[in-house]
Amino acid sequence: MRFRVKILSLFVTLLALCWLPAAFGMLSMELTHGVTSAIPIAVPPFAGEQAPGQEAIASIIGNDLKNSGRFKTQDQRAGANYAVAGSVTQVGDQYDVNVKLIDLFQNNGQALFTQHYTVTASQWRAVAHHISDLIYEQITGTRGVFSTKIAYVVVNRANLANVRYDLEVADQDGYNPRPLLDSPEPIMSPSWSPNGHEVAYVSFEDQHASIYIEDVTTGARHLLTDYEGINGAPAWSPDGKQLALVLSKSGSPNIYVMDIASKHLTQVTHDIYINTEPAWSADGQSLLYTSDRGGGPQIYQINLATGSSQRLTFDGSYNARASFTRDGKYIAMIHRVDGIYSIAMQNLDTGTVQVLSGVDGNTSSPSVAPNSSMVLYDVYMNGRNMLGMVSSDGRIQLVLPARNGDAQDPAWSPFLS
Amino acid sequence: MKVKTLIKVVAICAGGLLLTACAHKRPDDESAINQANAAYGVNGSDAGEAHGLGNGTNFSDQAGGGSLLSHRVYYFDFDSNVVRDGDKPAIDANAHYLMNHPHMAVSVQGNTDPRGSREYNIGLGERRAKAVEAILLSDGVNAEQIHIVSFGAEKLASFGRTEADYQLDRRVVLVYR
Repeated sequence: MRFRVKILSLFVTLLALCWLPAAFGMLSMELTHGVTSAIPIAVPPFAGEQAPGQEAIASIIGNDLKNSGRFKTQDQRAGANYAVAGSVTQVGDQYDVNVKLIDLFQNNGQALFTQHYTVTASQWRAVAHHISDLIYEQITGTRGVFSTKIAYVVVNRANLANVRYDLEVADQDGYNPRPLLDSPEPIMSPSWSPNGHEVAYVSFEDQHASIYIEDVTTGARHLLTDYEGINGAPAWSPDGKQLALVLSKSGSPNIYVMDIASKHLTQVTHDIYINTEPAWSADGQSLLYTSDRGGGPQIYQINLATGSSQRLTFDGSYNARASFTRDGKYIAMIHRVDGIYSIAMQNLDTGTVQVLSGVDGNTSSPSVAPNSSMVLYDVYMNGRNMLGMVSSDGRIQLVLPARNGDAQDPAWSPFLS
Repeated sequence: MKVKTLIKVVAICAGGLLLTACAHKRPDDESAINQANAAYGVNGSDAGEAHGLGNGTNFSDQAGGGSLLSHRVYYFDFDSNVVRDGDKPAIDANAHYLMNHPHMAVSVQGNTDPRGSREYNIGLGERRAKAVEAILLSDGVNAEQIHIVSFGAEKLASFGRTEADYQLDRRVVLVYR
């Protein structure tokens, strides 16, 4: 393993350790397609005090529910199926937040749940997202993802001779972007650890690819692999102890699994084709991966114990970057049809492939939400790259463009406690 | 008589135009190369250029050898890692340079157009870089002097997303260190 310490990489490391102004990425979120059967819910402003400089809690909750595509929000109860009622009282430098969810049709107007929180101003958005999670789960039966985060890369190409790449982490609604790395060389393939504390990624800061692991809270990071050739596509195992990754030190890209503590490498694929983009099954027993051993990129699944692979995709000439839904019954992937690279979902029982994303532009880097309700990806639209989200049935669509530059290569965090 | 004179005049003018066209050709190549290397923003590329041209006296006996050496961006067809015949003389010139300067190293950088999956494109970019490397090696270059890097679709050469832009993206670039 090569390790070269250069002034440039030291500079980049220093930037990784200090927090740059939050104005860097700043994604905005816009619902472009919602369901016509969206559930009407009343979310009027909460009674009482408002934390200074903060968006109103009811507004955060309302946007969360609206952007899920499943709800239609309004102030008044007339015509709504559910109502949220809340109050905030300032006590010293903290805030008492009370909230209840009411079923307007059943339950005799009784609350479906009542909750009380005491929070500081810095926890304001977090408690609002938590309330949104409770409402969402109570009504839909599915755990909400409003308290999760996304990692993504922002590229500033205003000057082709001086391009900047930033790896950022933000709330899943785009707020509170925090840079993990700022570099004059590309950054790719962020991957969250299962406990949400660390992100692995590929950095070209030394003018070749290396894989780093960085602590999301402290910014502290360490180099994991720096082999000759490709170091790519890191993917954390479900137990957090291993990283599947791609190395081309064998002469061509092959999948390896590395034990993070010992750095012991096990080679998983052994041929001369392009094998890349490993993704773990929930039980940690197998990996999905992309291989062009069949002539063009297709999805395969390999059993790690036996080493035997089977091909999963037979629809179309280009299928890549697959990952499982939580129940293991579907895979989300890039699927090319008529020259357009779209996000698609394949039912593993039936083999049916459904294209989810619109035909607005070419897409890449799909990442499934931890509740499997949505797929996050990047798409080239209106002259730039931006993030997109689409529901697993394709009916709900959102775009998340960055204020400045191209947003790309996103990764959805796991559920965060 | 009149027609013959006319033909002579036209021929002389055409010849003159051709000469001026040739005279302008080299700067256009240079600026295109600088633009392509500028897409990297790498210190090494400038240092490499300076080194290469500064030691150009070795090539004074080779007519056109200097411009072949400075031709360091090679383009590829869609989904292909086949090196174009027209690029081979330039690759050979760079191979000879490396063999004459055993202390120099070159980064052979593979790129793709932006369509499709990013990590798969890293694999495609590496195939292109290795195709150029194979020519350098078969010319006799020491493997220690060659470093392969694939940037996949992460260092696009062009702003746009037309077929013409994609063609500019699908390239291998030699960058001296």
